[in-house]
Amino acid sequence: MRRREFIKKAGLATAGAFAAPYILPSGRLFAASGIRKVNHVVFCMFAGGVRNFESVDKSLGNLMPHMLLGSETIAPDIAAAIAASQPPAFNLGYNLQTKGTLFKDFRYAKGPTGHFNGHTTAITGAYTTADLNIKDHPHTPTIFELYRKHNSPAQTPRKCWWISNALGPYPALNFSSYAGYGAQFGANFIAPTFMFSNQGYDSIGSLKTFTSAEEAAVNNMRTFMNHNFNKNFVDGDAGVTNTETDAAELQTWINSMFSQYQSGTFNNPWGPGAYNNDMMNIFFAEKVIDQFQPELLVVNMQDVDVAHFNFTNYAVNLNKADLAVAQLWNKIQTTPGMMDDTVMIIAPEHGRNEIGNSSIDANGRAALDHTAALDEVTGDQMAREIFCQVLGPSSVVQQGQVITGVTGESIDIASSIANLLGFDMQMPSGLLRDFNNTGIQQAFL
Amino acid sequence: MNPNKNKLWQSIAMALAITACFSSCKKDYVYEVTDVKVTQPGGEKTNVKTTTEFISIVYSDLFNTNVPTDTLLYVQQAYDAFGDKKLIEDRIVRHFLNSPAVQIPSDATMRANIPLFVDETIEKFFNRKPDAFENYFISDIIGSNTAITAIMVYYACMTSNEYRYY
Repeated sequence: MRRREFIKKAGLATAGAFAAPYILPSGRLFAASGIRKVNHVVFCMFAGGVRNFESVDKSLGNLMPHMLLGSETIAPDIAAAIAASQPPAFNLGYNLQTKGTLFKDFRYAKGPTGHFNGHTTAITGAYTTADLNIKDHPHTPTIFELYRKHNSPAQTPRKCWWISNALGPYPALNFSSYAGYGAQFGANFIAPTFMFSNQGYDSIGSLKTFTSAEEAAVNNMRTFMNHNFNKNFVDGDAGVTNTETDAAELQTWINSMFSQYQSGTFNNPWGPGAYNNDMMNIFFAEKVIDQFQPELLVVNMQDVDVAHFNFTNYAVNLNKADLAVAQLWNKIQTTPGMMDDTVMIIAPEHGRNEIGNSSIDANGRAALDHTAALDEVTGDQMAREIFCQVLGPSSVVQQGQVITGVTGESIDIASSIANLLGFDMQMPSGLLRDFNNTGIQQAFL
Repeated sequence: MNPNKNKLWQSIAMALAITACFSSCKKDYVYEVTDVKVTQPGGEKTNVKTTTEFISIVYSDLFNTNVPTDTLLYVQQAYDAFGDKKLIEDRIVRHFLNSPAVQIPSDATMRANIPLFVDETIEKFFNRKPDAFENYFISDIIGSNTAITAIMVYYACMTSNEYRYY
């Protein structure tokens, strides 16, 4: 080979090596500019307001035996209440603390310590210090929109879910009103405990069916009518719009879910016991995982918020939330395509006050609100103190690590999701905190 | 000058003047039509129905009565519980269509006078008369396909874009 030809070919080969997409061990192709650490991220908002005293500090004993190492004895009155609440038995076989990094002193540093503020902050990676309209979509892009707009290759909402245990303002968190983003990049939203219920079935569960030929004839008429009308009911007013193929799959899945609900399949899904709303919400998240194997899934729990009125029930629901997290992790690790290729981040949206309110329960324990002053300094600021646990493959997440000093903030979570899924460098700067400046990065190799 | 010759010239001049006068009165015909502003059917509708309005109107259109409060509440909850509104509206309409209490003209009634059925159906759902082309086109679809039922026509109308506006 002549020298000039050799140099030309060597140059092309080198350029090709840089320009070609990377092939990850999973076999999936990605644009060279976005290197993924994993292909799936699940963010479980351990929400409702959880105080570090009762969670990671174990002041009442270890109420979270699946997530936290330790056999500290639970206070007798709380232990009795937990037993009476009939949690289903479950043995994961290992402790989640060994599968990742635990931040014992994370921070919800700014903004009102309200549930919706906390949810919005975690999902957008931006504190809600200016204003927040509970009837509005967030004013800054959600992690769902950032993922769908900047991830390569682009994914439909089928791979991106926000699963909420409540209605009210929470459905609005699947996309923002930020210019250039919005519904066309939003997540599929579902509040399954409202949908898959007797009232849900009585409202949307029993459908008139049409043959494919009948559907085609209806489509023909509808298409004519739509062409004859000058407006289109789509993204925005119509929420997130799925592709025709995805919508058909969703309809079939919803039908199947209603069918299973009606037949009692969802009674005691994890074995005999008493299930609260949190557990059912996590169970339905598992059904979404079964069907869609989302690349990005955010699911929440909020039953611990009973702490406003009854401290003992707060402790009981904390214990059940721990069980639900273990079930969710087990589902991920037994789902082909997600096992060993998923990072799960668990964190409350905010904490609770140090000083109890005037509601005293049957065990003589004071209930707890969450009302940290906005100046972030004065008064009872304990509602800003939370924990964060990051679980994942040993090639990605530091295993068995515990970070005790004040490290990491709520807004770091969105940055880490963007980094894990490999699209953080594709986003306009300033929308999220630079991952390299976050505390949560200490969880990763 | 000979007076007779003078009279002759006067007569000729007058004849020419009369001829010229008549020829200048010839009428030029201009054919015109009255200006007509062309608009799309339903084009004046600019407002999206609220969720409550949509559910209430679907119910009253299909059952000819107001939606009961508890039904409205439960359907609203189901509506709010899913993010793809087109998908969930499709389910709401099909759920109601599946009710034995739904009030829809029989297929025999529809086929007895298809243009009239189309007229009444468009007016019922879109609050306007169909234009001639709409009526012809939809009537033709129905007339040329005996498998099309009144329920299918109702379903098409209620899941169209125009039904979502007022």
